[in-house]
Amino acid sequence: MIELRDVSKTVMSGTEPLTILHPLSIQIPHGQFVAIVGPSGSGKSTLLGLIAGLDAPSSGAVLIDEVDITRLGEDALAKLRGEKVGFVFQFFHLIPSLTAYENVAVPMEIAGVADARPRAEQLLEEVGLTGRAHHYPSQLSGGEQQRVALARALANNPKIVLADEPTGNLDTSNGRHIMDLLRKIHEGRGTTIVLVTHDAELAAMADARLVLRDGRVVENTLALRSVESLGLPPSKVS
Amino acid sequence: MRFVLRMAVRETRASLRRLFFFFICIAVGVAAIVALRSVIQSVRGVFGTEAKSLIAADVLIATNRDWTADARATIDRRLAEAGGTERTELVETPTMVRPADRSKPVAKMAELRAVQPRFPLYGSVDLQGTQTYSPALLADHGALVRPELLTAINVAVGDEILIGQATFTIRGLIVREPGRGMGEFSLGPRVIIAYDDLGSTGLLAFGSRARRAMLVKVADERVIESLVKSLREDLKDDFINTRSFRSTEDQVGRDFDRAENYLSLVGLIIVILGGIAVSSVTRVFILQKIRSIAVLKCLGARSGQIISVYILQVMSLGLAGSLLGVALARAAIASIPLMLGASTSLLAQAHYGVSWSAAIQGIAIGVLVSLLFSVVPLLQVRFIKPSLLLRDETVRRARDWTGIGVIAVVSLALVALTAWQAASLKVGIVVCVGFAGLAVILHLAGRALVALVAPLANSRSFPLRHAVLHLSRPGNQTRVILLAVGLGAFFIVGVRSLQASLLSEFSLQVAADAPDMFLLDIQKGQADGVRAFLGDPAHGAGEYQLIPVLRARVVGVAGKEVSLDGADEVRQKGVSIGREFTITYRDRLESNERVIEGAFWSGSSPEAEVSVEKLIAERARLHVGDTMRFDILGRTISARVTSIRDVEWRESRNGGFVFVFRPGVLDQAPQTFVAPLKGPDGVAARARFQRDLVERFSNVSVIDFHEVLETVRDVMSKVTLAITVVGGLVLFSGGLILIGAVAMTKFQRVYEAAVFKTLGANTRTIARMLLFEYGVLGSLAGLIGSLGAIVLTWGVSRYALEIPWRVFAGEHIAGVLLTASLVAIIGVVSSLDVLRNKPLATLRAE
Repeated sequence: MIELRDVSKTVMSGTEPLTILHPLSIQIPHGQFVAIVGPSGSGKSTLLGLIAGLDAPSSGAVLIDEVDITRLGEDALAKLRGEKVGFVFQFFHLIPSLTAYENVAVPMEIAGVADARPRAEQLLEEVGLTGRAHHYPSQLSGGEQQRVALARALANNPKIVLADEPTGNLDTSNGRHIMDLLRKIHEGRGTTIVLVTHDAELAAMADARLVLRDGRVVENTLALRSVESLGLPPSKVS
Repeated sequence: MRFVLRMAVRETRASLRRLFFFFICIAVGVAAIVALRSVIQSVRGVFGTEAKSLIAADVLIATNRDWTADARATIDRRLAEAGGTERTELVETPTMVRPADRSKPVAKMAELRAVQPRFPLYGSVDLQGTQTYSPALLADHGALVRPELLTAINVAVGDEILIGQATFTIRGLIVREPGRGMGEFSLGPRVIIAYDDLGSTGLLAFGSRARRAMLVKVADERVIESLVKSLREDLKDDFINTRSFRSTEDQVGRDFDRAENYLSLVGLIIVILGGIAVSSVTRVFILQKIRSIAVLKCLGARSGQIISVYILQVMSLGLAGSLLGVALARAAIASIPLMLGASTSLLAQAHYGVSWSAAIQGIAIGVLVSLLFSVVPLLQVRFIKPSLLLRDETVRRARDWTGIGVIAVVSLALVALTAWQAASLKVGIVVCVGFAGLAVILHLAGRALVALVAPLANSRSFPLRHAVLHLSRPGNQTRVILLAVGLGAFFIVGVRSLQASLLSEFSLQVAADAPDMFLLDIQKGQADGVRAFLGDPAHGAGEYQLIPVLRARVVGVAGKEVSLDGADEVRQKGVSIGREFTITYRDRLESNERVIEGAFWSGSSPEAEVSVEKLIAERARLHVGDTMRFDILGRTISARVTSIRDVEWRESRNGGFVFVFRPGVLDQAPQTFVAPLKGPDGVAARARFQRDLVERFSNVSVIDFHEVLETVRDVMSKVTLAITVVGGLVLFSGGLILIGAVAMTKFQRVYEAAVFKTLGANTRTIARMLLFEYGVLGSLAGLIGSLGAIVLTWGVSRYALEIPWRVFAGEHIAGVLLTASLVAIIGVVSSLDVLRNKPLATLRAE
């Protein structure tokens, strides 16, 4: 479970303090597919960064599986991300000097997995890139790069996948392909997925929606979903 | 760990081409270190294995005077006490050698050595060909000579030569002889004859500059120290010098150590230049990798792991560079025997090879320098936040104490490394501080010059404008290139200017009407004959002068500031007056002299008076009114100091005497004459003149300044060549850094060139832009080197050589132009693909 308690973020813009995120509290139960929606500058990515521990909140606490990650050091945070969180970015952010296969294997190597090869190959197969394993990012199309990124995000079988505008840099059909994969992952593995997007159509594919405007939550169907989820059969939540 | 290893391998694979040149730079430095150390160790081996043959004895007793009966008795007694000794005597003297065949009008100064049959006690005299040395070769006026004498006086083995008044037959050629070190200053080629034949030459007349030596071998090495000590004590007032092979060995050993350590510092400096390049390239590298590093952090990698990846990468490249350096050194050393060819010098007898210790030191330095210089920029990895993948932001940083600590540790480690190489902490600190200072100066000079050309950024010429702007492009290595190329240019231009300066100074002295020949050892009875000979127009000599000379030692001073009694006290406490002096007497000042204190005498006087040269008077704190006691060939003379003279040493061909006496007291003392004179013009006339003179006065030696000038020119050009090679290596490293810098920033250039092309610039414009950029960079580096060289020649001319300072504009202009062209060519050639790339593909890829 992801829990944010009175989390806010203020940064200095020149000499003036600028509040990107006003205090908010949310709970994302395990196994949810949540879309964070809002226009650009509304604080979506900041919120995602806080959930991932990429950024520290100005106030409040972020708990992942009841551990307050705002109290963790950089190295402990890195370890936590390596084990529990997978990322997908708008600009893919593959490491250009590594092949597709190596990009997928890296998180496992960091985590000290003895033999990353079979799993990396299996993940590439899942995203339909078996034949492209030894290509460098510059030799792949945008859609292919994003699928490699998705495979990489799943490498350590994380409980949470955070996706920041994963289709923002792709054409419609590639974007749909990525969304289908995310949906499949969510359903197949029960992975919690937090999707940041400004596209209402994509957001509609999620189970719940959190709408931000100017750093404030203007709509939150999570609470509703949480209540609903109580009545759902346990299998859906596992 | 597995992650670190794998990532290091992958990153190396990806960036090898870009980082390659920086590590070649390290390879060049390591090669210099390994090669220099190995060569010196090899040459040392030749000496080390034969330490005793360095002086050819356990104990060497030598004097510039005749052995007195007392001294001989003392030596006999002490040697008897030491038990079971063997000894042999020899005499060495410079003299003129000429062919017996009168149709060959030449004569040449040689170093004569007369030996007894037991010579040598240690080592062996090696002869050319299959001949082996035996005293029988010298019997009945036989002579062994160095091969270079043959060509000098046009004779061959088997021919007869005249030495003094005696005729000798050349029986063999000397390759090597014991008791002759490498690089000892020599007046001419060696000639060995039998001790018993020396008398017949008539060369041991009074006042000759012969050195007499006794070589002693003892049965028990343990008595050597005490024997030397007691002989020194006994003979201290007899101007007899005693030393053991050990003291020589120690001295030679120390000289070799110093040569090895100091020369290898040159290699270290090249490695450090490579290190500086590695440092700045690492900084750029990390900037280019910033996103990848953020991604790795997102994926769970810790800063420590990522830093380890890059350290491992840098160290493996450093190791590869160092290994390449060792290979280069091997190749260089393997070519030495080829270069020496059939040379008979000692150097040709060494077994050259890369020594293990040198190779290991070189590799250690290469890897350590790579590590030390990359650690600080790698620390930046810690400040890369993974959140930059979501949002571009600049993080304000608190003071980074870890970073400061690491910089301190790295600096200390560099000092330690240099100290280790120089085998002296003091030298280590001095070199590091000096290099840092030089780097700062060159850096400031570079900045000043870059600022100076900055107005060109407003130039109307588009290519020039952009070229100047590019000099401050991030990651351009402008400063490192200026430093390395500038330093190389500085070495080369500096040493060439110094050489030109020295040679022109020397040529001036030989020029025109100045005396250019010098006669030595004219006996008192020959003085009138020599005057007549020189005055005879048939011989072609110009102005001449006969100067009486005597040899003297100061044995006491009773003065205002100094009071010394006895030769021993003078030797120990007398500053600058402990040695033997050549003195003269006359009643007038020479044109290069000026009295600055007291008054110069006129006419002769039965009272001894002496005039002292200014510098010696200052150093020894002598004043007008002081009384000095001199030992002149056993006779003690007390003389009052009545004047202090300022001597212009540069014009001292006629009057270079520290002590000049008033005529009267010394007129009848045993003395010889020297004669500076203007010799005949032309090589043949000069040879004939020497020949005719020596024919008449066989003991007289002739120094021909034209020949000396040739020798000086030869030695100087060798030294210049050596330093030019070193400077060339530094310049070469600068070139490599430049190629590397171009490779490093190429992706940026390719992109810019594409944008310029789409905006309408043609390939020519872009080529001109590159040419201007590197031309300006090269000119700046050349200018830095040239300015440095001007400062260097000024300092060395004024303070070390005390010659007038000259600027050789030609050397400087050529230096700047060549450096500029070199940098421009390297820069443009290594950017060729920037010109060739098609813009569309490039822009699409961005």
